[in-house]
Amino acid sequence: MMMKNIVPRSLMLSLAGLAVTAAVTLAQEAAGVPPQASRLAEQNLRPYWHVFAAYALVIVVIGGWVISIARRLRAIEDRSVE
Amino acid sequence: MTTAGMRRGGVVLTVLGLAGLIALYWMCFFWVSTEVNQGVIQRIFYVHVPAAWTSFLAIGFAALASGMYLWLRDDRLDRAALCAIEGGLVFATLVLTTGPLWGKIAWGTYWTWEPRLTLTLLLWFIFVGYIMVRNSTEDPDKGKRFAAVVAIIGALDIPFIHLSVVWFRSLHPEPVVAKPDGPTLPGDMLATLLFGVLVFSLLFFGLFLFRYAVEALRAEADLRARSAA
Amino acid sequence: MSTYLTQVWAILRKDLVLEIRSRERVGAMCAFAVLTGVLFNFSIDTTTVRPNEVATGLIWMTLIFGGLLGVGRTFHLESQDGALQGILMSPAPKDAIFIGKLIANFVLLFVVSLLVLGVFGLFFGIDLGRNLSWVVFVLGIGSLGFVAVGTLFAAVAEGTHLRETLLPVLVFPLMVPMVIYGVGAMMPLLSGRPFTEVEGNVRMLGAFALAAVAAGAVLFRYVVED
Repeated sequence: MMMKNIVPRSLMLSLAGLAVTAAVTLAQEAAGVPPQASRLAEQNLRPYWHVFAAYALVIVVIGGWVISIARRLRAIEDRSVE
Repeated sequence: MTTAGMRRGGVVLTVLGLAGLIALYWMCFFWVSTEVNQGVIQRIFYVHVPAAWTSFLAIGFAALASGMYLWLRDDRLDRAALCAIEGGLVFATLVLTTGPLWGKIAWGTYWTWEPRLTLTLLLWFIFVGYIMVRNSTEDPDKGKRFAAVVAIIGALDIPFIHLSVVWFRSLHPEPVVAKPDGPTLPGDMLATLLFGVLVFSLLFFGLFLFRYAVEALRAEADLRARSAA
Repeated sequence: MSTYLTQVWAILRKDLVLEIRSRERVGAMCAFAVLTGVLFNFSIDTTTVRPNEVATGLIWMTLIFGGLLGVGRTFHLESQDGALQGILMSPAPKDAIFIGKLIANFVLLFVVSLLVLGVFGLFFGIDLGRNLSWVVFVLGIGSLGFVAVGTLFAAVAEGTHLRETLLPVLVFPLMVPMVIYGVGAMMPLLSGRPFTEVEGNVRMLGAFALAAVAAGAVLFRYVVED
């Protein structure tokens, strides 16, 4: 079936999402620092890490759900083939 | 809708939702302006609130489907309730993890008995109770009925829980005065939030359909196995 | 209507007679309540906290744990030997059975809650003389709400293989409004404030109890059908 390779696909999709998040965060830190340097120098970077963690969690938890559904689907398909 | 059609619909909606999620992340990181009082941490808001919205949508949907299941005894309704509950659990988990991450910066503590956070925690336990009840009966039909009762009672209790935790909170001083949403949200923030709600709803319904299709396939396989035996 | 009441009464009387003869549940619940009071006394440093302020919360917690102990076994005796099937096959409507069971449980828990109040009053030195009738009234409404939710889920838990282990997971999240309004109403009353101050809380408690009884009576038939 065409859905057979849903697990690697969804895994790759989640990883891509994670990579995009990481790249975006890095870009944000790189791009965002110069204009606000004077204000940022007084702040610490902790809020950024919390935002990053929260956004990564969204990807991981939803991705995890996708993968678990896909695995169950595969288990049922394997069963019905026998 | 056929099972295959549902699966296709689910996949399409999920892919749309995931693409939307990436667009939402782009908006949150590059487009929306930083909130004046809270600074960058306020950006958690754009995933936190849509996740909360989705988990409450899930319990409402599940309770409705459960009530109709008890009335009409159509297994499809029960399956819909189960899938909604599972989705609700996933999104409530997101609310409960992103909320403290925000609270640590905004309030200086990971956990406070903030009414909405408390309500979500209890909602999470109602979802867990639903799944536990369902999985702990020998007779599947019994499990379906029990779980439906749990979903309905849980949904009925939510207004009471909400009123009571808000009232309880009013007794205690706020740790730090910080309102997550002002009475008027600037245009771009509102747009980002609404887009977030749209994206999370898409993801919920997409994955709901996908999950539903899996459950339908399992029911078919069970039926085949039983008729073969 | 009168046949309905007769049916409710039949169930109620059966349960109460059984309980009076065996004293199984009420004995366990009372022992639990008194011993909990003793343990709480040692677990709280009474020199650092004012005991009569924490006592209200402890009374409600003891009520809930003790109630779970007794209410959780509502259908235990009957699930053996298929006695429950016998009751369910009787012409009495399912909600009459539920209401009968509920009132029996309520009587049981209310008796225990009075004991809890007395014991904790004694152990923690609370002045019970003020507002005693209102305190008892609040405890009664609280017991009714707890018993309504507890009886329904006792029937659910009895049908699963986890039995009573499942009960706290199902019941505790739903009990939050009851604890909040119950403690919120009882604490001012115990410190001598007038009833009018807590009237709103008692009303919410009553609304919760009524909603729980109504929902239980409607949904019980789906739990026990076979």
